[in-house]
Amino acid sequence: MFAKKIVGLIAAIVGANFVTNAKSTELLIYHSWSTPSEISALKVLNENFSSEGNSWKDLAIAHDSGVNVSLMNMLTGGNPPDVFMNSDPGIYRDLKKQGLAYPLTKLYQDHHVLEHFPPAVLKNITVDGEIMKAPVSVHIDGMVYYNKHVADAVVVDPKSWKSLDDLWAVFDKIKAAGYIPIAQGGDKFQIAYLLQAIIASETGNAIYDRFYGEKPDRTCIDTREMRQALAAFRKIQQHTDPGSPNRKWNETTNLVITGKALLQIHGDWMKGEFLAAGKQPGVDFDCMNIPGTKGVVVTVDAWGFLNTKKTEKAKAQEQFALLVVDPAINAAFAAKKGCSPVRTDVDPKSLDPCNKVVLETLKDPAMQHANPFNTADADWYRTIWDVADKFWNTPSMTPDQGVAEFQRAYDSVF
Amino acid sequence: MNGSSIIGLPSVLSVGRTRRRRRIRPHQIAISIFLVMAALFFCVPIYVILVTSFKSMNEVRLGDIFALPQRWTFASWKYAWFAACSGMRCDGVSGGFFNSLFILLPSLVLSISLSMLTGYAMALWDVKWANGLLFVLFVCAVVPFQIIMYPLIKITGFFGIYGTTFGVAVVHAILALPILTLIFRNFFRSIPGELTAAAMIDSGSFWRIFFEIVLPMSGNILIVVLILQITSVWNDFIVGLTFGGHDAQPMTVILNNLALSDTGENNYSVDMAAALLTAAPPLIIYFVLGKFFVQGITAGALKG
Repeated sequence: MFAKKIVGLIAAIVGANFVTNAKSTELLIYHSWSTPSEISALKVLNENFSSEGNSWKDLAIAHDSGVNVSLMNMLTGGNPPDVFMNSDPGIYRDLKKQGLAYPLTKLYQDHHVLEHFPPAVLKNITVDGEIMKAPVSVHIDGMVYYNKHVADAVVVDPKSWKSLDDLWAVFDKIKAAGYIPIAQGGDKFQIAYLLQAIIASETGNAIYDRFYGEKPDRTCIDTREMRQALAAFRKIQQHTDPGSPNRKWNETTNLVITGKALLQIHGDWMKGEFLAAGKQPGVDFDCMNIPGTKGVVVTVDAWGFLNTKKTEKAKAQEQFALLVVDPAINAAFAAKKGCSPVRTDVDPKSLDPCNKVVLETLKDPAMQHANPFNTADADWYRTIWDVADKFWNTPSMTPDQGVAEFQRAYDSVF
Repeated sequence: MNGSSIIGLPSVLSVGRTRRRRRIRPHQIAISIFLVMAALFFCVPIYVILVTSFKSMNEVRLGDIFALPQRWTFASWKYAWFAACSGMRCDGVSGGFFNSLFILLPSLVLSISLSMLTGYAMALWDVKWANGLLFVLFVCAVVPFQIIMYPLIKITGFFGIYGTTFGVAVVHAILALPILTLIFRNFFRSIPGELTAAAMIDSGSFWRIFFEIVLPMSGNILIVVLILQITSVWNDFIVGLTFGGHDAQPMTVILNNLALSDTGENNYSVDMAAALLTAAPPLIIYFVLGKFFVQGITAGALKG
């Protein structure tokens, strides 16, 4: 009797689930965004998606709680999202193994969108030869954002700098005027991102891809270029203010926004902080690549799709994949999010000065490198973070010792 | 973890209360200094959180975290409760509040009723394999949740309750059963055997003895267990995150969404207000029931 009731109850609950799933073109869309700029950007997508007769069921779980883990948990528990934001190639390989991957290669070829993506975007969305992701935003991981009022006050023009040496040359003058020359937060994330930005900008094609690529090349560690990058890295460490250790990147950006520091080298998502504080690009702050840059690291946020084996869902998913990369919608999205569009052919009128720097940079295929999160071996990349952190926090360590440390780390991983 | 910090404080207080000497002794000064330090240890961060929540972001950006707000504003509190976004759902932490409530209530009923009955049976009745069961319970109480997380997802998925508030509540109840059963069993052990023996002679049944003798004596221990359970379920993050799916995210998961952002802008005053709002319910319950709580944790020791 009791057992029968339980079975009945379970059947009722399972049945109820089927009913909700059967609602026609509702897609469960899973992402990690919640801040005002992110949400207003998502709303651009949602409006366009809904106007095509679909409905967007939203699921947000913030990044650090492990997006992959949550996605896999939902797959296991039996109500996975139809669309999810994830750039990690590993997850697409896992899905493929389970027969749940949804490649976009043919769709994008038919609609001729692939030729408008910069190479870094194309590389990011391709997993083992298939287009697996719909790219939505582009960030450069290491740009210089500076406070124009501080620059005026100390009479320096960052845009006139031709190399990092020009930057070092004015640092003492800036310090003497009572400002922090370079705001840098000392947590692992910022330290590691600064190192990869500097390796890209100082050495470009010479070692970046050999160091952060899928199969790293040990011989790129013991090179003049690596020593040069580590020396520049050390130089920045020597100029940071005492509040640097463990300071988050937002708080670090606030030093530039409030005019306590001249500049910060970090991912260009810091633009969002400037805009949230009511600052105008070109008026209160300005942006540029690292002086004398030979290469930039590009982060691409992208959506993945789960193969639900239902035609009406697939149709809605394809509509979603297309509207994300529509030039007008993508530009509107980028303006809200504070990122840059994923296409080089968007209307220039919709771009701010910083977007223009980014898209101009991305026109040169030789300049761009993928974010290691999307390419490097995960163990190796973690180890790089550890070594970078150790080097940064041991001021007595020379570039030679840093090279030896990286070699040791390489040997322990491979 | 929670238990020990809560238990430590009242016992020190009660020592101070029983001694009614007017003159201040050196050891009292030492105790006072220790208590002030302990209080500061907790109060300074809370002070920073409180004042930050009443500042505007422009004031927060100045970085003087200990300064009082130049202009007090409730805007962040209002925004955090009503309008902050977790994904595209912009109804602040209030949306998660009800999810948390719908998780809390069934999990309390399930875990406390089941563990109380089991503890009662194990302590006062002859149960076959009782010692073996006790050992198993003890082992279960120390198994980390992460180890059984994946099978639990499979099981809840199989029963169709994955991603529902009820599913999260059931998982909470299951995870709490071993330790609660042990607590109840040990408490009921302290009830004199003569009491139940006499009741049995008067032909009391299992249920009658429970409802008419044991339950009325368990007020204090119930309060203790209630507070422990409310605190752990309400403050939980990982169970809600793992089993909540998309419709049953508790307040803590919403809070995490609000406050955590890799590349988005941060609004610290809203984060602080949302954190305080999320932490408030167990605190309020503790303040209301605190007196009973102290009685409850000493109850076991006083019985001869």
